[in-house]
Amino acid sequence: MADLVAAPDQRPLPTGAGLFNRLARKQYVALALMRSNAFANSFRTGSGAFEFGARAISFFVYSVIGIGLGIGAGAAAYSLVSNHELHLLAIEFWVLFLLWQAISIVLASFLEQFDLGSLLRFPINFGSFFLLHLVFGFLDVSTLAGSLSCAGVLIGISLARPDLFGTTLAALIGFAAFNIFLVRAIFAWLDRWLAKRRSREIVSAVFLVSMLSLQLLNPVLRDETWHERDHPHRRSAAAQKMTGDAESLLGKAAAWQSWLPPGLANAVLESADQHDTPLEAGALGLLCIYTLGAAGLLGIRLRAVYRGESLGEAPSTGQDAKREQPWLIVGHGPIVAEIEKELITLFRSMTQIYAICVPPIMVVIIASLFRSGAPFARHVFHLALPVCVAYGLLGFTQLIYNSLGAEGRAIQMVFLFPLPVRTILLAKNLFHGALYLLAALLAGLFTTLRLGRPDPDVVAITAAWLLFALPANLAAGNVLSIVMPYRINLGRIGRQSGSQANALLSMLIQTTILGAGASVMSFCTFWGRIWLAVPIFLAMAIVAVLGWVVVLSKADALAYSRRDLLLEKLARVE
Amino acid sequence: MGTAAIQTYGLTRRFGEMTAVENVTLRVTQGQFFGFLGPNGAGKSTTIKMLTGLLEPSAGTIEILGRPFSAAALDLKREIGVVPEGMALLGRLTASEYLRFVGRMYGLDRETVTRRTEELLEFMQLANERRKMVTDFSHGMQKKLALAAAVIHGPKVLFLDEPFEGVDAVAAGMLKTMLQGMIQRGATIFLTTHVLEIVERLCSHVAIIHQGRLVANGSIEDLRAGVASSLPGTETSQRLTLEEIFLSIVGANGGEPVQELSWLT
Repeated sequence: MADLVAAPDQRPLPTGAGLFNRLARKQYVALALMRSNAFANSFRTGSGAFEFGARAISFFVYSVIGIGLGIGAGAAAYSLVSNHELHLLAIEFWVLFLLWQAISIVLASFLEQFDLGSLLRFPINFGSFFLLHLVFGFLDVSTLAGSLSCAGVLIGISLARPDLFGTTLAALIGFAAFNIFLVRAIFAWLDRWLAKRRSREIVSAVFLVSMLSLQLLNPVLRDETWHERDHPHRRSAAAQKMTGDAESLLGKAAAWQSWLPPGLANAVLESADQHDTPLEAGALGLLCIYTLGAAGLLGIRLRAVYRGESLGEAPSTGQDAKREQPWLIVGHGPIVAEIEKELITLFRSMTQIYAICVPPIMVVIIASLFRSGAPFARHVFHLALPVCVAYGLLGFTQLIYNSLGAEGRAIQMVFLFPLPVRTILLAKNLFHGALYLLAALLAGLFTTLRLGRPDPDVVAITAAWLLFALPANLAAGNVLSIVMPYRINLGRIGRQSGSQANALLSMLIQTTILGAGASVMSFCTFWGRIWLAVPIFLAMAIVAVLGWVVVLSKADALAYSRRDLLLEKLARVE
Repeated sequence: MGTAAIQTYGLTRRFGEMTAVENVTLRVTQGQFFGFLGPNGAGKSTTIKMLTGLLEPSAGTIEILGRPFSAAALDLKREIGVVPEGMALLGRLTASEYLRFVGRMYGLDRETVTRRTEELLEFMQLANERRKMVTDFSHGMQKKLALAAAVIHGPKVLFLDEPFEGVDAVAAGMLKTMLQGMIQRGATIFLTTHVLEIVERLCSHVAIIHQGRLVANGSIEDLRAGVASSLPGTETSQRLTLEEIFLSIVGANGGEPVQELSWLT
C-alpha cells in the first residue's frame, strides 16, 4: 500500500498509437507475466501437470511431423530446382497453402486460447491489440508445420541454387506472412458470420450445397469412365479423353494460379532464375499486396472487435417472437429431453456439423484413391468399404470422447437434476450412436456410388465391425468425458483449446479399435476365410456392449467422485 | 419450532490445507425466507453447493425436508430448486427451449411444461425474447431465466445464490413478489446475496458466515438486539440496519483504520 500512496503526482504513461511505446511494452510484459503465472499455476494440480505432459508430447509429435513435411518439401524443392523445373514449384506452394489452411481447422492449438476481448478494458491501442491477436496462439500446428515446410523449401532451393537464397527467403517470408494473416482472417470472419442466426444459416446452406455439388460430380464422372472399367478397349479411349480434358483444365488453372499468392511466390523464384528483375519485383510486390490485403481483412474484423462490437442478436419483437417454437421430438421424460437438447445444439453448432460432415465427404476423395491404377489400391480394393466407413467416423472423436464438454456451466445441472448421471449419458450415447450409424451409412453410400456395389461379405464385415466399434467408442468416450473433460466453445470454428491429454488418449483408443478391426480382417484374409471376420466381430461386439453397460452402471460413482474436476473444468469463470 | 426444511450438523469442507466451511450447524424452518450472509470468500457459495449436492462435504451431514441429503438423493432433488453460481444456462438454446428442457428433466409432462414455460416467460418479461439464444441475453435476463428454470417444477425448497445481481429494479420488485408468494404457499427459500436491503426486507431469519464459520444465526430482531446490547453507547431503542449489524458482526469496523488512497482523484 505504501507504494501505492507514495506517488500521488506520478504521471500516467502516454497512450500512443505505437506498437512498442513505453505503455505498450509494459503491457506486453504484464501479459507475458500473466501467462507465465497461469502456466506455473497449472502445475498445482495433477491433471494440470498431466495436461502439460500431453501438450509436450503433442508438440513433439507435430514437430516431428512438421520436420518430416519440411524435409519432404525441401527434397521436392531441391529436386525440382536441380532439374530446372522451377515452374513446378507452384504445385508445392499450392499444397503448402492448402495444408496451412486445412490443418488449422482440423487441429487444436498447443496453447490455451485466450479471449483478447477481455483486454479491451485496458488502455491498449489498436496496433498492440492486433499484434497480440497474432502472437497469441501463434504456435499452433498449422504455423509450426507451415513454417517448418517453408524452412525446408528454403534449404532445398538454397542447396540447389545458392544464388537464389535471398530471393527465396523474401518470397517465403511473404508467402508465410500471407498464410498466417489469412488463417486468422478466415477464422475471425467465420466467427463473425456464425454468431448471427441469419448468416449462420447462409453459411450452413453454402456448406450443404458444396457437399451436394461434390456428390453430383460423382455420377458425371461415373457416366464417363466407370462403366468402361471392365472394357479395356473403351477404357483406354476414355482415359485418353480424360487426360486431354485434365491437361486443358490444368493449362487454364495454371494461368489463373500465377496471379494468386502461391503462384506469385513461385513467379518470384522463376523470374529470379531468368534474371527478370522487373517481373521478380512485380511478383514480390503483388505478393506483399496480397499479404497486406489479408492483414487488412483481419484488421477490419479486429477493429470492429476493438470498438466493442457485440455479435449478439438484436432483440426480437412482434408476433413472430411470441410464436411458440415446435417441439422437435414428441414425448416426455429426461432421455427425450436430453436428445432434443443435443439435436438443437447440434443444429446451431457449425463446428460440430463440420466435424461430423467433413469425413464422410472426404470419403469421396479417399474412394478415388481406390479407383486409381496404383497397385496397392487395386490390392485392397475389396476392403474399400470398411476403410472408408472407418474414416467417415473420425469426426465423432470430440463428440463422443468429450460428450459433456459443450455443457459449459450447465454441467451443474447434471448434478442438480433428480436423475442419475447415467441417464444423461445414456441419452447422449443414443443420440451420438444414431448419428454415428447415420454417418457410417452415408460414408457407405458414398463409397458405393463411387466404387460400385461391394461384395455382401464385405458389407456384413463392415456392419459387424460397426457393432463392435460403436459401443467400444461409447464406453471409452463416457470414461474420458468424465475423467478428462474440457470446455468446448460451440460458437467458434477451429482454434479450440482442447485438452491434449484427452486428444492423445482418444486417438490411442480409436487407433486400437481400428487396429483390432484391421488385424481381424488381415488374419481372416490371410487364411482365405474373410467371412470368419463376421462372427469374430460379433463376439467382440458382445464384449464391447457389456463393457458399455458396465461403464454406464458405474458412471454415477465415477462422475460424483470427479465432480469437483468436472465443475472446475466446465463451469469455471473464464 | 416448525419442521426443519434444511438442517445441517457440523458441515465442513476442506480444499487441501484450507478449510472453506467449518463445522456449520444451522436449521431453516419450513416456510422461512432465510438469508445467508457473509463477506466475499466467507464460504457462502461453498455452503450452498454442499446443500444442493454440487460439492461433497468433508464432514457433517445435511437433511432436507427431514430426510438425509446426499448428491444421490434423487427423490429429494425433485423437491429443491437452485439458481447456482454462474447460473448453469445452456447458451445455444432459446429461453423457451431451455425451460422446456429443464421441465422435462424434472419429469414434468408435456402439457405442464408448455403451460409453465409460457407463464414463466410472461412473468419474467422474457416472452418477446423467447426465440433469442440464451448466449445473447443480457446478464439480468439470464438471471431471470435461471430463476424461472429453478422454479418450473414447483420446488418446496429454493436455493438462490445471488439471484438479484444484475437484475433491474422493476424485475427485482417482481421477483420479490414472486418469492414472497412462494413463502406464503409454504415454500422455503435459502438466499445468499450481498444486497442487505433485500435481505432485510424479505428474510425473517439470517445467518452470517465469516471465514468459514457461522458467527450469527437467528431472527433479524434477535441479531439487532444482540448487537445493540454489545455496542457501547448504543441504546436498545436505536434501530440498527442490517448493514450495521452485519458490519458489526464480521468486525469490519473493529480492525485497523482503512488507509486512505490519497492518489485516487
